[in-house]
Amino acid sequence: MATFETKNKHAHLQEDIIKYLLILAAAISILTTFGILFSILFEAIEFFKLKSFVYFFTGTEWTPGVENSQFGALPIFAGTFMITAIAMAVALPIGLGSAIYMSEYATPNARNVLKPLLEILAGIPTVVYGFFAAITVAPFIVKISAAVGIEASFNSALASGVVMGIMIIPYISSLSDDVITAVPDSLRKGSLALGMTKAETIKDIVIPSAMPGIISATLLGISKALGETMIVVMAAGLRPNLSWNILEDMTTVTVRIVDALTGDQAFNSPATLSAFALGLALFVVTLILNIVSVRLIQKFKEKYKMSSL
Amino acid sequence: MDKNSIFYDPSLKRRHFKSKLFKYFTLSSLVVSLLFLGIFLLDMVLKGSSAVQQTYIQVEVSYNQESIDNYRSIVDKKYLNLLSRAALREVPEQMQANPSLMNTKEVVWILADDQVDMYMKKYYYKIGEKDLSTLEELQKNGMVDKKFNTIFFTHGDSKTPEYSGILSAFIGTILTLAVTMLVAFPIGVATAVYLEEFSKQNWWSEFLEININNLAAIPSILFGLLGLAIYINLFGLPRSSALVGGLTLALMTLPIIVVSSRAALRSVPASIRQAGYALGLTKVQVVKDHVIPLAFPGIMTGNIIGLAHAMGETAPLIIVGMIAFIPDSPSSVMEAATVMPAQLFTWAGMPERAYIERTAAGILVLLSVLISLNSLAVYLRKKFEVKW
Amino acid sequence: MAKNKVKIEVKDLNLWYGDKHALHGLNIELYKNKITALIGPSGCGKSTFLRCLNRMNDLITSVRVEGEVVIDGKNIYDKDVDEVSVRKRIGMVFQQPNPFPKSIYENVAYAPLKHGIVKKGSSCDELVEQSLRSAGIWNEVKDILKEPGTGLSGGQQQRLCIARTIAVKPDVILMDEPTSALDPISTEKIEALMLELKKEYTIITVTHNMQQAARIADMTAFFHLGDLIEYDETEKIFINPAQKKTEDYITGRFG
Repeated sequence: MATFETKNKHAHLQEDIIKYLLILAAAISILTTFGILFSILFEAIEFFKLKSFVYFFTGTEWTPGVENSQFGALPIFAGTFMITAIAMAVALPIGLGSAIYMSEYATPNARNVLKPLLEILAGIPTVVYGFFAAITVAPFIVKISAAVGIEASFNSALASGVVMGIMIIPYISSLSDDVITAVPDSLRKGSLALGMTKAETIKDIVIPSAMPGIISATLLGISKALGETMIVVMAAGLRPNLSWNILEDMTTVTVRIVDALTGDQAFNSPATLSAFALGLALFVVTLILNIVSVRLIQKFKEKYKMSSL
Repeated sequence: MDKNSIFYDPSLKRRHFKSKLFKYFTLSSLVVSLLFLGIFLLDMVLKGSSAVQQTYIQVEVSYNQESIDNYRSIVDKKYLNLLSRAALREVPEQMQANPSLMNTKEVVWILADDQVDMYMKKYYYKIGEKDLSTLEELQKNGMVDKKFNTIFFTHGDSKTPEYSGILSAFIGTILTLAVTMLVAFPIGVATAVYLEEFSKQNWWSEFLEININNLAAIPSILFGLLGLAIYINLFGLPRSSALVGGLTLALMTLPIIVVSSRAALRSVPASIRQAGYALGLTKVQVVKDHVIPLAFPGIMTGNIIGLAHAMGETAPLIIVGMIAFIPDSPSSVMEAATVMPAQLFTWAGMPERAYIERTAAGILVLLSVLISLNSLAVYLRKKFEVKW
Repeated sequence: MAKNKVKIEVKDLNLWYGDKHALHGLNIELYKNKITALIGPSGCGKSTFLRCLNRMNDLITSVRVEGEVVIDGKNIYDKDVDEVSVRKRIGMVFQQPNPFPKSIYENVAYAPLKHGIVKKGSSCDELVEQSLRSAGIWNEVKDILKEPGTGLSGGQQQRLCIARTIAVKPDVILMDEPTSALDPISTEKIEALMLELKKEYTIITVTHNMQQAARIADMTAFFHLGDLIEYDETEKIFINPAQKKTEDYITGRFG
């Protein structure tokens, strides 16, 4: 007759302990997110106790570290927006174009070489891009502008925007390439069988089908651009500047955060605490972008029943 | 073609032309991205390659008590401006270490000043007229020469550009990343094991998943704000230390490790688990003895990629103060330290041309390390790739 | 059958996938306003042959085609023939319904607009309605033209794909197992539709389903391992085949 052991209490306890240790480890990621949120939130609240909340979002004067300091972040947001827009103007067409070439025109062998090659761009540390922007690209832009008789700043928004765009290309191209490849071949065949050219098929059928994924990649790119620090710290200016001229110097949220926290101001001074108010704005915006982006890619996966991207 | 044929369609010419145009647009975007990569690498090599060598000058050195008291009297006064002060300051130490040298004279190669170095490398230089004629004379006599730049690899940061090197930042990087991996590896892998093997599909696991996803998308600088507010201000850990830097990077690296470890665990087929259960093993035993060993190469690959990622990170480390001037290598994780990218950031902001050269050279060193790490990851993945 | 008008004349057609010789010198005449069924076991080359008729095989880089496919007096493999114009005149319906992720209206209107057959506006609306009516789906979708085509049922999707194809006003419609992914009721509707459509179009269909061939085809061609074994009127093929292999296949001795 078979005998079954009764449950070994000791072994059972051990299993439970291990399981709870694993849960504890998993909880650290949650602790981190909330740690970031609350550490920023509390200091930001301290800041808004000292300075006006409304003026922060609507004011145009940013004068920390002086008597009667003013904290109107509008020009900082504007600068961030301008540089992000320049970066996306570079990264979106080039990244999407590259993705289309790799997925629709290149042979599988060529694609296997090209894709990792492009991803090298994503592996380059941002401090290196910053150096490139400040030492090579910015002086180049000044020279070119001078040649056509326009004055450009050595800290021009254009220089950091363009280099940031280069950095973001692989983020756009990699995800777009994945979603374009995932568009079922039957759709391409259906279009070609109607007598459409290859480009018409790609533009009218493939790209619209992959659109949720491409938008998701774009949002991710924007989020990367908004949060990018080193390129702008090294190549963009410190001066809050509300302007449309991309050859002028502009500053960004991240630059002002670094500036506020590397200065010699007391920690609880509004000048230092302003970094946390700016950080809070950055946190909220990038979080929303990411959530929307993840939703879109999930929708895409459901539509074409993909298991993983 | 016959115009009456049903296949005659003159409008196609224009459509084919547009189609070609579109193809060339996509091809040129790819070429432009690769061109960017090429220009960028070429630029770094051009700017950094001159740092491989450094200028030395052959001069007569007098070892005596006066020299010990004042390093300026070690060499003939007229050479003083051409030589590196930092190098001359080391000479008295050599004398004290080796007393037999006392009251002798010797002709040796001494490191040149950075401006002399710039002159030799044909960059822009600033040397007085008198010094310049002395230098030209020395050069005529073959007393000036470029040698391999060992200082760059054996010294830390310095206020004199010709005497600065990457060593202390390199050590700082190792210490910081050691902290990072000691924290991120166990937590990351444990999280992955929990999510893949133990958790049930419920609100909690979903919440965890969304959370890890979002963590990966938070701008790195905000991790610096966390490090500053929590590790330094709340826990009172030492500012600028490898400990704080490493802990900050650990949280950033966590999502990368979790995601790749999960992929590795998922690739272990269910049949392995079922075989384990059929032998009467408990869940923990199956996971520990069968699933994790099989997934280990994949987990390691993910960790190396995470490590490479952390190695290039700068912004959060600036926030926690890791851009201090660190001439000597730190010996513990509690001491003030700097890391390679932060060192490059500091140098890039210096006015002297010699620092620019060193920044580019440092970039080449950093990129080589990163490429080696990534290649190692690819190699590991290929070598241990199992087809189920 | 003297009154049969030849629409497509295939002369000595050979096809290779890389080194693999997949079609061995086929010769066949396909007739206008008839349904021709291509039957045979899987891998016999019937689908490959079908794709030769609108040059869809050109999309596969390893494929090499020799021989002639003459449609209305023009060899479509001639150098001066644009394969895009071939596909415009020779429509194709696939095994899996593949409506574009666009609205029902756009699914039908897309190709005619691109080809310049109609301009946006009432003429386009008319063409869409006419095509959907011809495909026998108008009544089901007339109120939901703005809804995505992917939301329809499988059978409706396939009829939408047929509407999409006839909107381009082709001469020939190729169908690659058009009902194999559908339920019996949808299949019946498509079959009825095919019988209706042959009044205007020449239809070549690949099918795995012998009863279907017997039900709807005027002519049947039996393929085996890249050879055309037998080609005749459907009745003849099914009742009194000339070849032993054909008989074996039809009676289910292999397949």
